[in-house]
Amino acid sequence: MRILLCTNGSSHTDRALEMGVRIAQKAASEVDILVVAERDREKKARRMAKAAAADLEAAGMPVTIHRRTGRMADEVVLQAQTAPYDLVIIGSRGRRGVMRLLLGSAALHVTGHAPASVLIAKGRTRDLRRFLVCSSAGPVSEHTIQFAGRLAQAVGASVTLLHVMSQLPLAADAISDDLDASAEELMQRNSREGVHLKQMLELLAAEGQAGRAVVRHGLVLDEIIAEAREGRYDLLVTGAHVTPGLNARLVGDLSADILLAADRPVLVVR
Amino acid sequence: MESQRGKRLIWKKLGLGLSGFLLFVLALGMMKEGAGGLAPLLRDHLAVTNTADSMGFGLLMAYLVLGGSPVAAAAVALLSASTLSSLQAFTMIAGSRLGACLTVLLVGFVYTLRGHEQWAALTAGILSLLLTGSIQLGSLPMGLLILSRGWLNDPSIPALEGLAAGVNQGLEPLLGPLVAFLPDWMLFVAGVGLVTLSFRLFDHAMPQVRLERTDLGQVSRLVYRPEVMFLMGLAITLFTMSVSISVGILVPLSARGYMRRENIIPYILGANISTFADTLVAAALLGDPRAITVVVTHIVCVAIVSLLLILLAYRPYERAISDALAWITRRRRNFTLFLSIIFVIPVALILL
Repeated sequence: MRILLCTNGSSHTDRALEMGVRIAQKAASEVDILVVAERDREKKARRMAKAAAADLEAAGMPVTIHRRTGRMADEVVLQAQTAPYDLVIIGSRGRRGVMRLLLGSAALHVTGHAPASVLIAKGRTRDLRRFLVCSSAGPVSEHTIQFAGRLAQAVGASVTLLHVMSQLPLAADAISDDLDASAEELMQRNSREGVHLKQMLELLAAEGQAGRAVVRHGLVLDEIIAEAREGRYDLLVTGAHVTPGLNARLVGDLSADILLAADRPVLVVR
Repeated sequence: MESQRGKRLIWKKLGLGLSGFLLFVLALGMMKEGAGGLAPLLRDHLAVTNTADSMGFGLLMAYLVLGGSPVAAAAVALLSASTLSSLQAFTMIAGSRLGACLTVLLVGFVYTLRGHEQWAALTAGILSLLLTGSIQLGSLPMGLLILSRGWLNDPSIPALEGLAAGVNQGLEPLLGPLVAFLPDWMLFVAGVGLVTLSFRLFDHAMPQVRLERTDLGQVSRLVYRPEVMFLMGLAITLFTMSVSISVGILVPLSARGYMRRENIIPYILGANISTFADTLVAAALLGDPRAITVVVTHIVCVAIVSLLLILLAYRPYERAISDALAWITRRRRNFTLFLSIIFVIPVALILL
């Protein structure tokens, strides 16, 4: 797995670098570190990159340091386009409200434009032991689950598949049993969601992971965030659902919503 | 053979649509003529003297005729005959919309008595009531303020005045004898009955919309942007002239009759705006600028409140509605309490 770690010398990229080094030591075959020279933090950024490189090289990992000047989000995307990276790891400043409206979110920009999967380090630095993979019962899920399974296998984490049923019955004769059912019940009944969960668990098993499935009922975003908190997961994994074209204008970008609402690291798989 | 059947269906639908429209125009005329003599009945016997009373009256009437549009049309007819003030007509229309949602709930309740899945039959009704009620809570004070301050001037549209005069002239041969022989109250009641019938004819005249062929055929699986579903609800309801039909159109998109709540909530919010289209047509046919102002005020207020919610506070609003729905459907006792409140409100409003 080829991984790109990024820093501009700020504290949130420092946390990302720390998490990135931990992941790379277990999962990477090759690591690039990007130093983005922004304002007066270039020296600090270089120092941080060198320290990270030293840690990785000590573990026998080949590391290349790149330097770019400009806006962090733009430079990460440009660097990600120069090589076939499997994973880009960045930090998130966690801007909220008006500040995010005015200044935008660098993490959102990178997840939206980088050609690779992106892991956004948010919240406190933690070891990744428990992955929560959001499954939408669509074609995007397969690649997301395979990628999450591979990464989990490499870092020694467990995987839980989460599917949220937010549906309501609109027709008088709709059979609403599925709308209260657990993952086990859905799989036993072979309902559409149950069949999907079984297939996804088989995919995980093929990656060497014995995952489990959880189904929650309610609003999709709220239930994902609630499950992440209640289950004390270390990483939330979601697919980059929105494809360009008409769909991008019609369908809500759930991965962006998760990224903004989560208080812990998020992996957006592409 | 197939094309002949198709042509026959088109002619049948056109015939139904035209009959519905003519009946609608006649019913409006009857209600307007009958409404003039209803003032003592409303004031002295039903105690409809203020805006709260008229809202309760709108709710009760909607329960009786099992629909909101006929009652909203009756409200503009009562205003046109000066039996109700603009403010009273405004709240009566609001009441009619809430009452219309309750009728969806009542139809669902009948389904449950017939042995259908209980919450499956009731969910659409409860959700419609929660959404319409919350929007009306915001738009009522805004509308009353706009109308009492006169911020929206009564429009003077010569073309509409000409249209109304033409309609009155055309109705005279039919309406004249009815006015001469029937007492006012009977004329009004018959008008309400006919306008209800005309809406049934419109429903049958509407073409079948098949959304499963479009890109939105995946609406039961994907979470769409609220703005998209809001505009879709607005456009489809404008076309079908009925919230229950436009919500019903969503059902075939999922083989199991399910739809994501993230999609339904903004859809119904959009539908709540364009559902006023038929009332606006009624006001225009009556040629009364005050009636047009009242309906336009309603549309403007509901649109402002809905858009503010969608653009600025959508997540908390969606969460509050979803939580309320979950609470009501959690236990039979909660649902009974909710239903009791809904029935008590109109009576309490009239007694106030």
